[in-house]
Amino acid sequence: METLSSLADGFVIALTWQNLLLALLGCFLGTMMGALPGLGPSNGVAILIPLAFTLGLGATPSLILLTSVYYGAMYGGRISSILLNIPGDEPAMMTCLDGYPMAKKGRAGEALSLSGIASFVGAFLATWGLILLAPQLVKIALLFGPAEYFALFTLAFATLGGVASTNQAKTAFAAALGIGLATVGVDTQTGVPRFTFGEVHLYDGIDFLVAIVGLFALSEVFLFLEHRHGNADASGHKVTVGRLMPSWSLLKSCTPTMLRSSFLGFLAGVLPGAGASLGSFIAYTFEKKLVDKEGTFGTGDPRGVAAPEAGNNAAAGGALVPMLALGVPGSGTTAVLLAVLLALNITPGPLLFTQQPDVVWGLIAALFIANVMLLLMNIPMIGLFTRVLLIPPRILMPIVAMVSFVGIYGISGSSFDLLVMVGFGVLGWVLRKLDVPLVPIILGTLLGNAMENNLRRAITIDNGDWFALIDSPLSIGLWTLAVIGFLLPIIFGKVVKARMRHMAKDEEGSTID
Amino acid sequence: MAFKSTRLLLAAAFLGASAFGVSAADFKPENPECIAPANPGGGWDFTCRQVGKSLQDQKLLDSTVQVVNLAGGGGGVAFAEVVNKRDDDNDLIVAASAATATRLAQGAYPGNTMDQVRWLAAVGADYGVIAVAADSPVNTLPELLDQIKNDPSSVSVAGGSAVGGWDHLKVLIAANAYGIDDVRSVKYIAFDGGGEAVTQLLAGSVQAFTGDISEAKGFVDSGDIKVIAVLAPERLPGEFEVFPTAKEQGIDAIGANWRGFYAPGNMSDDAYNAWVGMIGDLYASEEWKGVMAANGLAPLDLQGEEFQKFVANSVAQIQKISKEIGIIK
Amino acid sequence: MSDRIFGAVGLILALGYAWAALIIEESFLSDAVGPKAFPLIIAAVLGLSSLVIFFKPDTAPHWPALPRLMEVGAAILVMVLYAILLPELGFVIATALAATYLTWRLGTRPLSSVVSGCLTSLGIYAVFHLVLGLSLARGPLGF
Repeated sequence: METLSSLADGFVIALTWQNLLLALLGCFLGTMMGALPGLGPSNGVAILIPLAFTLGLGATPSLILLTSVYYGAMYGGRISSILLNIPGDEPAMMTCLDGYPMAKKGRAGEALSLSGIASFVGAFLATWGLILLAPQLVKIALLFGPAEYFALFTLAFATLGGVASTNQAKTAFAAALGIGLATVGVDTQTGVPRFTFGEVHLYDGIDFLVAIVGLFALSEVFLFLEHRHGNADASGHKVTVGRLMPSWSLLKSCTPTMLRSSFLGFLAGVLPGAGASLGSFIAYTFEKKLVDKEGTFGTGDPRGVAAPEAGNNAAAGGALVPMLALGVPGSGTTAVLLAVLLALNITPGPLLFTQQPDVVWGLIAALFIANVMLLLMNIPMIGLFTRVLLIPPRILMPIVAMVSFVGIYGISGSSFDLLVMVGFGVLGWVLRKLDVPLVPIILGTLLGNAMENNLRRAITIDNGDWFALIDSPLSIGLWTLAVIGFLLPIIFGKVVKARMRHMAKDEEGSTID
Repeated sequence: MAFKSTRLLLAAAFLGASAFGVSAADFKPENPECIAPANPGGGWDFTCRQVGKSLQDQKLLDSTVQVVNLAGGGGGVAFAEVVNKRDDDNDLIVAASAATATRLAQGAYPGNTMDQVRWLAAVGADYGVIAVAADSPVNTLPELLDQIKNDPSSVSVAGGSAVGGWDHLKVLIAANAYGIDDVRSVKYIAFDGGGEAVTQLLAGSVQAFTGDISEAKGFVDSGDIKVIAVLAPERLPGEFEVFPTAKEQGIDAIGANWRGFYAPGNMSDDAYNAWVGMIGDLYASEEWKGVMAANGLAPLDLQGEEFQKFVANSVAQIQKISKEIGIIK
Repeated sequence: MSDRIFGAVGLILALGYAWAALIIEESFLSDAVGPKAFPLIIAAVLGLSSLVIFFKPDTAPHWPALPRLMEVGAAILVMVLYAILLPELGFVIATALAATYLTWRLGTRPLSSVVSGCLTSLGIYAVFHLVLGLSLARGPLGF
């Protein structure tokens, strides 16, 4: 009851005309930045900090603006994933896997609205989770020491098999390549440079945004250049947008998926250092393992769109738990938000909820408002978004390429990063031709450092004893899951694959209607 | 081995007034620019944006300071850019901190030294703390250091910087001052930021925490951790007054993470003096005191020559201790 | 055949990576694991998976004919030039040139390409610089 009355107070604070306008502005800008490749939620928030300060906003209005941007970017990322097969930001990469095939089948409108609804469900549930469970959830975060984190990351990589490619060796190769790229730069444990070849620009490592934009966006441009012979261009891309809203039966069939994915995504978000990307990844792989009996995931299954979107938006809400209650950012974006809080003289930490209830509850109310606003804004705009598909690729692709360049250059101001990005573009093009999945590479660059650091912390704390890794019931449990997740597809892979082929033949007529 | 900043700080307190005497000359930057040598959102970025905004708000500058993010090499890319390409730019200032001095001292900016730029002024400092969990049997700094002395493998100290970074050095400075000869035996675990390090202290993975006072504050208020020493010359003002300094526990260790600016090496004297004057005036203003309080910054009143000397001293100090513990040869 | 080459290149990459890991100059002060161990584990995974790819290749993909390949090569060259010339020419000019080239090569008529390229450049400049306030490269003309 007390919670509800606090929440009501929060709404009183948040529901002023100024704050509503700020939320609207934030939602719009956030969606835009999420959709533009190269500008993710963390940079989006960072870019708008000066705006909040220039407008001379107080603590609560600033937070309302910036969290709207945060949630907006989480919504926006899916748009370019679905329409262009280019993730607008890193958590949206899983949405490419089924969203783009759906769009290709002429169901772009449905994919966009379904993912919008899934985003809403994820964010909505996560905000309730934040309200009701924040203090208890902090205890979960405290169960995770370095050894447990290492086990968790290993679990993520162990279950990669079969996410994107049928060739396990290529998936393993891609993951190792990604982790290997993450090790470039100054070693954060000992401060020695590794694999930098004396190049100062590499000391900070390779920015995963550079990798993701290069691998996905530029390689797409190269693919288009390669395939533009004769009239293929004109005939091959007559895109149909299809219906804009999903049918009730489709929504109903995706509801269990959304609920499960929201829960998993939220948990992943609560763990500092795991973040939204892991949230969408775990949601997708879990859902695939659980319900994908026919092997339709990866070919435009609506559940494959709902799962990662619910997962990443729930994770975005979950990441606010450790940020507010511990002052520990659970993701890149919350790290920026944390910096903003500090600048506003708000010290996140265990006492924030009792010391500054108006800020916390105002913020939470703002999350609800932003979420509803985003849903209302996104659904009618789907018709507009899908127009993007009507722009001929010969015009659209150069725009995508240039936007990618600008996104990267505007943040880092470095030509070197652009060259690295072109390199990734070429790499992505070659790897795509060879049917090597790109998702594991991104996952590797995102999590590689955290994985190595936690491994080394765990072992250093136990004075060089490698058994430190299986020292707690939690880590043993995670390792068991990882081993099962790794072995299952290998043992049953052949059986399933054979059945998949069989089923696919049977269902060919019925799925594409 | 204490940081010389003690004496410098005291000196600065007396000499501070004279530093203000530097008049803002006739020079006015036309297109003032501040390079933040990191991505948006970090400490350097905030230094640039806060100072840029305050300078304009207080009419010390007519035009808006353009903040340019030039990330890479822990500030090394920006340093090289300034030295190589913009050595005589009068409109340019660059954000810096104790981390900059640490990297310069350890030669982590290949081919660059601190003399290649002109150091302008500090705008505040964040003092180091050493803390333990609330339920820890340890209550004072000497107790903790005794434990480390007797069995280094029994105490893991967590901090937010890399090995050899500023958080690590602080604990080593304290250990060194206590008479632990082989400071390399101190077990330090590097985390990504102070917040994560504190969390692992609460989770019980590590036994002690070294970081900045702003990182620890929330957890002290909630009673989850206790600060056993502040690495400041004397007790800090206000609510931080309850924390004992290392010095009063007989350990002469001081560690301040300062924030400030440098300018290109061949900036004209007029421009240099004008910038020093502007930042000095800003520092003296009531508004800036508010900003400092909001960001948990303690006073560090150093401009122009004083600041130049201060940075030179800290570089020399860090070099010495880094050599002792073998981070550099 | 493609996968055989890929596997071989992957193996060389893994060996090179392992070698580069072995020559990392360890500082005097290190943690219990050190900076080399993890990269070596990853190098092993990289090498093993490359071997599997080498011995169990998939069917080869369709590689484009030489003219198409040169088309892609030229686009890469343009992008590299763009990256290098961006700070020299300034954002608007460099971007207009690069966008025009790409639009043209993707099959638009030259004149329309120029129009489209310039509009792309100005549009991006308006959104990113004027609306979002990002600092883009300032050329000799100030934009």
